[in-house]
Amino acid sequence: MIRIEDLTHVYPGGRRQPPRTAVSGLTLHIPDGRFAILSGPNGSGKSTLFRILCGLARPSRGRVTVGGHDLLADPAPARALMGVVFQSPAVDKHLGVRENLALHGALHGLRGAAFRVRLDEALAWTDLAGRLGDRVETLSGGLARQVELAKCLLTRPRLLLLDEPTTGLDPASRRAFLNALGRLRRELGMTVLMTSHIFSEAEEVDSVAIMANGRLLAHDTPQALRDRLKGDVLVIDSPDPDTLAARLRDDLGVAAMRHGDELRVDDPPDADAVMLLERVLADYRRLVRGITVKRPALEDVFIHVTAEARAQGAAATAERQETAA
Amino acid sequence: MTHAGNTTAETAVSPRAASTGAGPGASLGAVATALAGREFTRFIRQPHRVMGSIGQPLIFWVLLGAGLTPSFDAPGLEGMSYLEYFYPGVLMMMILFASVFASITIIEDRDQGFLQGVLVAPVPRLGIVMGKVGGASLVALFQAGILLIAAPFVGMTMGPLGAVLLALTLVLISLGFTGLGFLFAWGMKSTAGFHAVMMVIMMPMWVLSGAFFPITGVPGWLHWIMMFNPVTHAMTILRGPFYDAPLALFSRGDYLLSLFVVIASVALCLTLAAARVGKRETGASVVASGQPNG
Repeated sequence: MIRIEDLTHVYPGGRRQPPRTAVSGLTLHIPDGRFAILSGPNGSGKSTLFRILCGLARPSRGRVTVGGHDLLADPAPARALMGVVFQSPAVDKHLGVRENLALHGALHGLRGAAFRVRLDEALAWTDLAGRLGDRVETLSGGLARQVELAKCLLTRPRLLLLDEPTTGLDPASRRAFLNALGRLRRELGMTVLMTSHIFSEAEEVDSVAIMANGRLLAHDTPQALRDRLKGDVLVIDSPDPDTLAARLRDDLGVAAMRHGDELRVDDPPDADAVMLLERVLADYRRLVRGITVKRPALEDVFIHVTAEARAQGAAATAERQETAA
Repeated sequence: MTHAGNTTAETAVSPRAASTGAGPGASLGAVATALAGREFTRFIRQPHRVMGSIGQPLIFWVLLGAGLTPSFDAPGLEGMSYLEYFYPGVLMMMILFASVFASITIIEDRDQGFLQGVLVAPVPRLGIVMGKVGGASLVALFQAGILLIAAPFVGMTMGPLGAVLLALTLVLISLGFTGLGFLFAWGMKSTAGFHAVMMVIMMPMWVLSGAFFPITGVPGWLHWIMMFNPVTHAMTILRGPFYDAPLALFSRGDYLLSLFVVIASVALCLTLAAARVGKRETGASVVASGQPNG
């Protein structure tokens, strides 16, 4: 459904601002009918990629096709296949819930009886019943978000692009939306690409893509990603993480990555995190405030992969500076 | 799940699967109508906007017209009170303001995110322009209708055909102003900046259109500027129905010339606006950039 080949996007610089590369040499394929999640730290290029995918921006280089239509040559046929939910609200606050949905339907050629059938379907999962006449500005943030999401289900797109769609929803309505989305997706064979930071949403999807610094670091099934971390993960809360990391490296030959105030050992020797835990406690008790062994979840894979990329990026920058000097 | 449950589920599924996707697709007219309807609904729901846009020209017309009539006896006003002369000018000003306000809503729509949803919808780009511009024309017509109630009191009357022609003229002119405003507003991020640009561009166009003072009797250089100002021609076709029957108008050479100039200007503005909407923000070339920075 989505084929992205060697995509690069550079934001033009200004007089005082150098050009900024937001996406760099990215290749990503999402087959028909898949549910994919795109994840990455802030500033990783997700939003730029998203804007290119919905045809709002033309990249500097590369090819993007959606459903076989070349998005760069002519976005019009691809738009007909897509439904988009933006991170920022895209409803008219001065209009009522139903008016907003009717307007959205009209823009997609949905009117009359066909619209009413779809309306019931799009609203079935929401808490909006009884508030259809109310203006969106009078709704709470979560309910307004539900209008946004109902809008995208209304047109039954073949491809649904969602940019952090569940931001601002309470856990119950987030679950309700994801359930409704999953059901419609199966019934209609929709392809879904969703950016998200919430990894509990990612456990049931077909694939997870992780981006950082404009590059694709990994794209695999959640299970395959978890398998990247062979054993358990050791997380150490330390008053002096840098010293502890140096000691671990020099004394034990263990690579520990710093993540905030935490030190993480994603790949303990012999895949035995418990043994390492005992060792650390015995030798460096003074440098340990708390220590945990946990099974790797997707979130741990994400931290692992992006931290690796950051370390490589820092090394590359240092190297460049050295050659420059 | 029971067997019966299964079958109902499947029968429910199959027609759905057949109707995946958006539907027959929206036509230019349907898109423009839906978006224009939204503009008008929004206008009506902001009572301050309604009050302001009606009150402003009325006050302007009564106070300024009444104040200027005794002292203002310009050449070209044969036997006509200034109030009467100024009346079509006020109509023009009201269309101008309605159009400017409509154009501001483009910046608001972009700011509040509504616009992005419209831009990714599978609709013709001209439909987006026509929706905005058409909505503005509706608002302008609504206001003009209220001001037109005052027409007989300044001794201006017209037949039903003339009224239809006047309404069409008002629509045409407001399409032009909104198209122009659209062109400027599209790339702007702040409403304040838009106000500044409008004051520099649209107000002089109105002042130098013969709305304020007659074109006869001005210095030669100013005369030429005024003749090249499309709003001058808009003024000509707006005054026409107040004084001549439609049939007589269409045999007047100067009226037809002005009509042609106005239609050409409106078409140019709308075409440029649609082209502007269709243009996507494009990334800089890769060669010019150095190393990627995170």
